[in-house]
Amino acid sequence: MTDQKTMAYLNMYAVLGTLENLCELDSESVKIISGLKKPISLCFDVKDGPAATLTFSSRGCRMEDGVRECDIKIPVSSCEKFNQIIDGTVTPVPSKGFAKIGFLLKTFTALTDRLSALMRPSEEDLKDRAFFELSTTLTFYTIAVALAQIGNRDEIGKHSASYMVDGDIHFGIGDSIAATLRVKDHHLVTIKKAPEKPRAIMKFKDLDLAAALFNGTANALECVCNGSIEIHGMASMIDNMNRLLDRVALYLG
Amino acid sequence: MSKYPVYNHEKGRECFDRALKVIPAGIYGHLGPSEGLWIPIEKWPFYSEKAQGSYFWDLDGNKYIDYMCAYGPNVLGYNDPDVDKAAMKQLKLGNCTTAPSKVMVECAEKLVDTVASADWAFFCKNGSDTTTLAVMTARAHTHKRKIIFLKGYYHGDFQWAQKIDYPGILPEDVCHNLVAPWFDIDALQRLYDENDGDIAGLIAQPYDHGNFYDNVPANQEYWKGVRKWCDDHGVVLIFDDVRAGFRLDIQGSDHYYGIKADLICFCKALANGYNMSALCGGEHMKNTVSGMTYTGSYWMSAVPFAACIACIDKMKKLDIPTMFRKLGTELTDGFKAAAQNNGFDLVVSGEPALFYLRIANDDSLMLHQEWVAECVCRGLFLASHHNHFINASLTEDDIKLSIDIAEDAFNEVRKNHPELR
Repeated sequence: MTDQKTMAYLNMYAVLGTLENLCELDSESVKIISGLKKPISLCFDVKDGPAATLTFSSRGCRMEDGVRECDIKIPVSSCEKFNQIIDGTVTPVPSKGFAKIGFLLKTFTALTDRLSALMRPSEEDLKDRAFFELSTTLTFYTIAVALAQIGNRDEIGKHSASYMVDGDIHFGIGDSIAATLRVKDHHLVTIKKAPEKPRAIMKFKDLDLAAALFNGTANALECVCNGSIEIHGMASMIDNMNRLLDRVALYLG
Repeated sequence: MSKYPVYNHEKGRECFDRALKVIPAGIYGHLGPSEGLWIPIEKWPFYSEKAQGSYFWDLDGNKYIDYMCAYGPNVLGYNDPDVDKAAMKQLKLGNCTTAPSKVMVECAEKLVDTVASADWAFFCKNGSDTTTLAVMTARAHTHKRKIIFLKGYYHGDFQWAQKIDYPGILPEDVCHNLVAPWFDIDALQRLYDENDGDIAGLIAQPYDHGNFYDNVPANQEYWKGVRKWCDDHGVVLIFDDVRAGFRLDIQGSDHYYGIKADLICFCKALANGYNMSALCGGEHMKNTVSGMTYTGSYWMSAVPFAACIACIDKMKKLDIPTMFRKLGTELTDGFKAAAQNNGFDLVVSGEPALFYLRIANDDSLMLHQEWVAECVCRGLFLASHHNHFINASLTEDDIKLSIDIAEDAFNEVRKNHPELR
């Protein structure tokens, strides 16, 4: 069972939040934003749900929590409606920024289409190694953020978080891709860089393993057993993070 | 240069790689790398070739002094001659037969004569079989639904004993589980009131011997308070003595804490490795248990009963609780001194017979994991985050050797961490 409100938070921070990484790592997306003459900001404000502001410039994309000063504002009447917007079954209607509608229809749509292509790749696309690596890396960041949202919002996820002690978990792939899952009083925050002093570490051996775990063809516990997932430190944190990972598949699978 | 050479596990790894193809996770459960937390995996032996007394040997011929004792069943020493003799004698007479063997009755009589709170014994195979029967019995006896657990609980892996976020568990499987903190009788009352008195039982281990944190022994005052609270509210008190049973007190851990549980679960130390478990209880619960629908294909096999009788006789003769307290204290005092010599703060907690270890120099437990790994790959088998077990074949020389290996491992970790100096 998934919950619409949790899904809305996931869609906002984990899915749209990955636009930050997309605009940094994907050359096509870098090209799309390179034409922006000045920064433009877009705010989604979901009633009884998440609110965040995305600012795009020729140098990249940044997401900030909450309703900020923005050029385009899209109020959404419910979490369900927001989830439909992300699924592409409902068209977003801005309440502010009609003059900038071109950005929404052109640049933003091009970026989200590119994100969709990378996040929901065809088998054919994945045969291209560069595409595969980018797709897996972006999926990693989406999942890293989703972990925190599920631990904070989903009823069963909150149960897992209730068993997590304070500290930073290093969640990563090899030595080059990493995020921090920060736990404080059972509230989780994801930071998209490695922690300085982790209390626990969970590292996937490489991108191929990460992809197999993400698409469900490998099991994390089995990989701990065969040594392809490296764990260290406060094992109860990792154990409970693993339970959150199971829930991520339910929401994003 | 390390005093004890580091083992390699080439053949063990080879066997494990074969296992991964045909057994989910290679070695699943508490004896495997995941639940057993083999960090890093290459320091662990994977499989044993043979065992004797306090030792086992892996597939590469490396010898380990074993403080996990198969996670408890090895209480007298591997291949104890008295237990094995009784088991072999019974094997020749019959084991898994249509009409149960007489030795089953003798085994029940032995438990009733040994365990202070036991007026009867119901036999199964694993600890989970008995904790499940105990919970069902509490519900059947009281016609109530909820069961109180104490925080950090472990009562086996059947659905009702798992947690809501575990794979394959439905919220409905655990919806009647309530969790109270340890050592807080007021919290029991709060749960009782919040649930309109719909409490069938309270299940607990004798003391807080959870994983990942220092173990906290209980005392008689606490358990007498819980006993009274259960009596006052008609709640069945279930002692899960699967792990600690006989190691604290031959008459049961409830006896150790000065009370009689309504139901008490035994498994690990019951038959020195022969596969059986038992739920025991007071006369007042016998009628309820008699009416339960609960059985298993191998639950009345005769060989483990014969082993159990011999094991209990020997545990009594050796007075293992006194012996284990002494050996456990001597061993852990030695470990602490070895730690101190190398600048480490080793915290020892829990009962000496089931001691729990933690290096407190960092809060991530990474140093602790490194030390345990260095111990294991030098032949001292410890677990990273689980209580340990003493067995009766352990000698003074074994303890000296263990402390020496532990010191060597501390020295290695210290060398690897110049920042700690």
